[in-house]
Amino acid sequence: MIELDHLIAPEQSEYTLWVVALLTLPLLSGLISAFLKQQAPYGSSFLIGLNLVVAGFLALSLWDEPVSIRGSWFSLAGNDFTYSFFLDRLALAMSVIVNFVALLVHLFSIEYMREDPSKPRYFAYLGLFTFSMMGIVLFHNLLFMFIFWELVGLSSFLLIGFWFEKKSASLAANKAFILNRIGDLGFITGLMILYTQFQTLDLDAVKSLMAISEIEDGNWVVAFKKAGQEVMASLDGRWLSAAGIALFCGAVGKSAQFPLQVWLPDAMEGPTPVSALIHAATMVAAGVFMLARIFVLLDAQALEVVAIVGAVTAFMAAIAALSQFDIKKVLAYSTISQLGYMVLAMGVGAFSAGIFHLITHAFFKAGLFLSAGIIIHQLHHLEKGGQKFDPQDMRVMGGLRRKMPVTFFAFLLCSLALVGLPGFSGFLSKDAILLDLAVWADEKGGGFYIPEVLAFMTVVFTAFYTFRMILLVFFGEFRLAGILGRNQLENELHEGNGWLTVPAVIFALLSLSIPFGFTLNPEDSWLMQALPTPMYVVPVAYAAQSLLDIPHETFEVLHGLVNAVSIGLALAGLVLAYWVYRPGGKLQKSFIEKREPVGVFGQVSFYHWYLNALYEKIILKGILAKARGVAWFDRWIVDEAVNLLARLQVVIAYLTRWFDRVFVDGLVNLTAHSIGKVGQLTRSIQSGNIQAQILVTFIFLLTLILLLVL
Amino acid sequence: MEHILSYIVFIPLVGALVVLLTPKAYQHLYKVLAIGFTGLSLLLTLYAVHMFDGGLVPQISGEANLQLVEKVEWFRLSLGSLGTFSVDYLLAADGLNISMLLLASIVLFIGAIVCWKIKEKQKAYFGLYLLLSTSVLGCFVALDFFLFYLFFEFMLLPMYFLVGLWGGPRREYAAIKFFIYTLVGSILILIVMIGLYNSVYDPVKTAELAGINGTELSIEEVQALVAEGRIEEGQLVKSFNMLYMANPANYIPGSLLERSGLSTLFGEPIRWMAFLAIFIGFAIKLPSFPFHTWLPDAHVEAPTPISVVLAGVLLKVGGYGLIRTAFAMFPDAAYHYAWLIGFLGMFSIIYGAMNALAQKDLKKLIAFSSVSHMGFVLLGLAAMTSEGISGAIYQMFSHGLISSMLFLIAGVLYDRTHNRTIEHYGGLAHQMPYYTVFVGIAFFASLGLPGFSGFIAELFVFIGAFKSSAVIGAIPAWMAIVSTLGLVLAAGYYLWTFQKMFLGKFWVKEKNWLPALKDLTIREYMVLVPLVVLIIAFGIYPGLLLNLINTGVESFVGHLTEWSK
Repeated sequence: MIELDHLIAPEQSEYTLWVVALLTLPLLSGLISAFLKQQAPYGSSFLIGLNLVVAGFLALSLWDEPVSIRGSWFSLAGNDFTYSFFLDRLALAMSVIVNFVALLVHLFSIEYMREDPSKPRYFAYLGLFTFSMMGIVLFHNLLFMFIFWELVGLSSFLLIGFWFEKKSASLAANKAFILNRIGDLGFITGLMILYTQFQTLDLDAVKSLMAISEIEDGNWVVAFKKAGQEVMASLDGRWLSAAGIALFCGAVGKSAQFPLQVWLPDAMEGPTPVSALIHAATMVAAGVFMLARIFVLLDAQALEVVAIVGAVTAFMAAIAALSQFDIKKVLAYSTISQLGYMVLAMGVGAFSAGIFHLITHAFFKAGLFLSAGIIIHQLHHLEKGGQKFDPQDMRVMGGLRRKMPVTFFAFLLCSLALVGLPGFSGFLSKDAILLDLAVWADEKGGGFYIPEVLAFMTVVFTAFYTFRMILLVFFGEFRLAGILGRNQLENELHEGNGWLTVPAVIFALLSLSIPFGFTLNPEDSWLMQALPTPMYVVPVAYAAQSLLDIPHETFEVLHGLVNAVSIGLALAGLVLAYWVYRPGGKLQKSFIEKREPVGVFGQVSFYHWYLNALYEKIILKGILAKARGVAWFDRWIVDEAVNLLARLQVVIAYLTRWFDRVFVDGLVNLTAHSIGKVGQLTRSIQSGNIQAQILVTFIFLLTLILLLVL
Repeated sequence: MEHILSYIVFIPLVGALVVLLTPKAYQHLYKVLAIGFTGLSLLLTLYAVHMFDGGLVPQISGEANLQLVEKVEWFRLSLGSLGTFSVDYLLAADGLNISMLLLASIVLFIGAIVCWKIKEKQKAYFGLYLLLSTSVLGCFVALDFFLFYLFFEFMLLPMYFLVGLWGGPRREYAAIKFFIYTLVGSILILIVMIGLYNSVYDPVKTAELAGINGTELSIEEVQALVAEGRIEEGQLVKSFNMLYMANPANYIPGSLLERSGLSTLFGEPIRWMAFLAIFIGFAIKLPSFPFHTWLPDAHVEAPTPISVVLAGVLLKVGGYGLIRTAFAMFPDAAYHYAWLIGFLGMFSIIYGAMNALAQKDLKKLIAFSSVSHMGFVLLGLAAMTSEGISGAIYQMFSHGLISSMLFLIAGVLYDRTHNRTIEHYGGLAHQMPYYTVFVGIAFFASLGLPGFSGFIAELFVFIGAFKSSAVIGAIPAWMAIVSTLGLVLAAGYYLWTFQKMFLGKFWVKEKNWLPALKDLTIREYMVLVPLVVLIIAFGIYPGLLLNLINTGVESFVGHLTEWSK
């Protein structure tokens, strides 16, 4: 029988200090920027660079032999709450990627934020973010993951609302935090369930205990030893599925999945480098990373929920990206859609493919955001003489390839990866997901073809909105000149400097498939091979069928077909986009002229399926109205009842006083009064009138005699 | 330091006398005296906490392993055939009250520093403040019900005057409401206390008095003799000792509140009714829905330092009272009513948060957030698991620090503009950036962000409440899950308030507020910074507090589990 105390026994490693450095250097980078003032960008970038070196060193040293470090945080009621780091390949790869993207974004920000007086605050927040993100990556304990999870939410809140004088930015920050919190309710519920069952939240221990759990008569039972005593824990079996789904809710919030995805487009209010780092490459990927961490704990039911949510999200967001004006909004919806793919991958059991896509997406989407950032930054410089325009609006762009060739090059490469054409990283990872999805759908059959259909349709839409964006931004004429009426404006526009372009180009080169393997078959990619899909540990009765159990031939048979279909669909999307959005194309003209798309489809797409309207106009309004109702109830019913009671007391007091005066006092007065009367009577008798005295004496005597005689 | 608890409790009282004897000509010294005496009390408390051995497992239903004990017989009255009436002066610390003592000392000291703004009737004010300090501190360490009740009741008097004389525009209404509300609760507690006194005897003193083999008789032997009815009532020494009251073996057979539950009223055991009465008494103090309506009024009208003390410590007397009396003495009834208590806790969490969402006055918002956060205490207690009870105590401690900070922050703004309406401000971050940072910290701490003490507390309550159904079956699991909604609502009301008041373009309703809107002063830093440090310290190193309370909670949960069925 497994001893819990052994599972969570302290573990040390010679790498402990390195790991602590890896975790805390970003925090230090944030802290020093508060003191460095105007030198903050360089100081904090240096420390992030240093951290990348640490991450690289650890990755090289530990790639083949993962290290686990564990210690006790505190103990409560005889239960040890441990902290633990686990540096397996997943954590190491994520560490390198997070620090790499963070470093390039820091460097990019040096130029991007040069004019901003509050840049120390900016770099402080970036440092806090990187620290929190490293916490999620390194800790192998659900409680600590949750803690850093929330801190990531905090730093995202701070960075989205960085330009807090803009009301829209501060509202977007609130929205992001609150929607993330809704997801976190699920996360916390998951913690409650697992803790109740296993008495620990250490992931290693949880997995070991889950592996020895059994389903008996619909109950989820586990027996282990704790402090030498046998413990039999038993919960209704449904809590096992519930735990997985609840934890997944956390990922739904953080990775912007349906139905909580509406915060991500609004989060584009933050500075663009932030969007690249947080809202494309790392924070939003944290949800997928967390799913990967708890992957083996998910049962069949939970995995189905994950897959369906992912497919629906991918599809919905791709539709929404079709008709946006704001270049960052297109990229935001695209991010949601791609995250949907990753979540879908986890749901169908394509662990390696999901992580692979997470990594390729981190690079090409960061590249897209940085390129867009260059465009926004350079356009912003054209604002002068009180002429205001929105530098993110694609309607003011057009023809930018002529003056910004490097940016165009970077943007194009990353776009092709996003579309998923052969030769680019996105092709490999998306192909891997689609193949596993196809096999999964074939195995399950029936309604489970729907996610597959949605995912393949998303391929067309992805190609369409990506190419639409390229055509509108880089081709045709420079429309801003016409709008502002400055004919020579195009000559004032020029390419961004090296601080801006070099990071974008680096990401563009990483969007090629070569860094991930010189192949068209994802299975041959070294990254896919390095991160194999693990086996589920949930009790067999509840476990999903693992893709590992499906014969390899099934995959091979489908591979060619999936490849052909996905390339064909992508090309179809490209052609369609070219047909309608080429300079002078049918939709290009109406796009420039119209304020918003027409028709049901256009409206649904532009307003993102009216989700915002639903949440803000109906649900939020309803809650606020209810809150006012509750406040009214509290003030006028509960409190008034108390006041009424007090008033009743006063009324009773008055009644008592009345009673006291009229009856009690009256009786006393009556007595006094009658005594007075008697006194008067007797006084009148003793008036000194001798006749009367004789009369009284006579009567008295007579009475006395009569009494005596009778 | 033999009488350290007495020193801690009565040093502020000495301070009050010194203030009274200091002539008005030296009234600038009053605040120094108040700070000095509460500070001395705090230092001694820290020393007491240092001496306190968290490893000793206290006995909830007896005096074994009590620490820092001071026990003398205060008075004894022989009532003939009705037995003997005995009251002890018993001060002691165990895992259930040491944290509360620490909290009270910290908050009272910080409150004393904040008193510098009081300019009117200083002698009376500082005298009353120090008097209040003594009664609050006494409440937490007195383990004789009679003594506890004296301290408990004595809080009312200074509180009434402090709100009623130095408060805001509706201070008299608020003071009277507070007074009457709490008095009703006190009466309920008093009734139960008398009932308990009539039912419980002191086995040690009874052994002495009965003289069966002198004092050599062990407690167990006396209990056995009484149970067999071989000691007559006239020979029993009745007791107010709260620890003896928690031990069912110390109840006189056939007495009113005896555990067998034979004494009934309207078909219900009197014990259960007694539990409800004492529960309501302390639930008013906590406060829990529906007994909370005194709190918003009292908070809004009270001057800043009194709000701080009220939210920081006075509410905790309610929670502590529930633990020490209602739950410890009536575990069976507590178990019977756990569903109701848990429901009230859950309801208070959501109800308070919904109310806070609709408030326009910053102080009222904070007051309702207190109602919401105190709901966690009830939920954790009702769970009757170690995690839940620890969470409840942690929440009381953490809320004491965080709500103190929140009221200080509301006070900072009120001092400058005499206005607390949320909608009258906008973009204050431009004008008062450092103030904004502290508000941000307080708000995020209160909404339960990890890294701050509130998170630990709420996490424990949640897991404890969920675990309850699997371990002891006191409350169902859905209560924990529904209660998590409070986290989202808290994020909502704090973030929207923050956004309205501090972010966006700078704007205030009245132009003449502008010159007053300066950033924090050095004095304000002096009270805010230590609170931030404490809130973060208890947030990232829970062992600081858990090492003090763990054994106490374990023992308490063991007691509940043993006697709940």
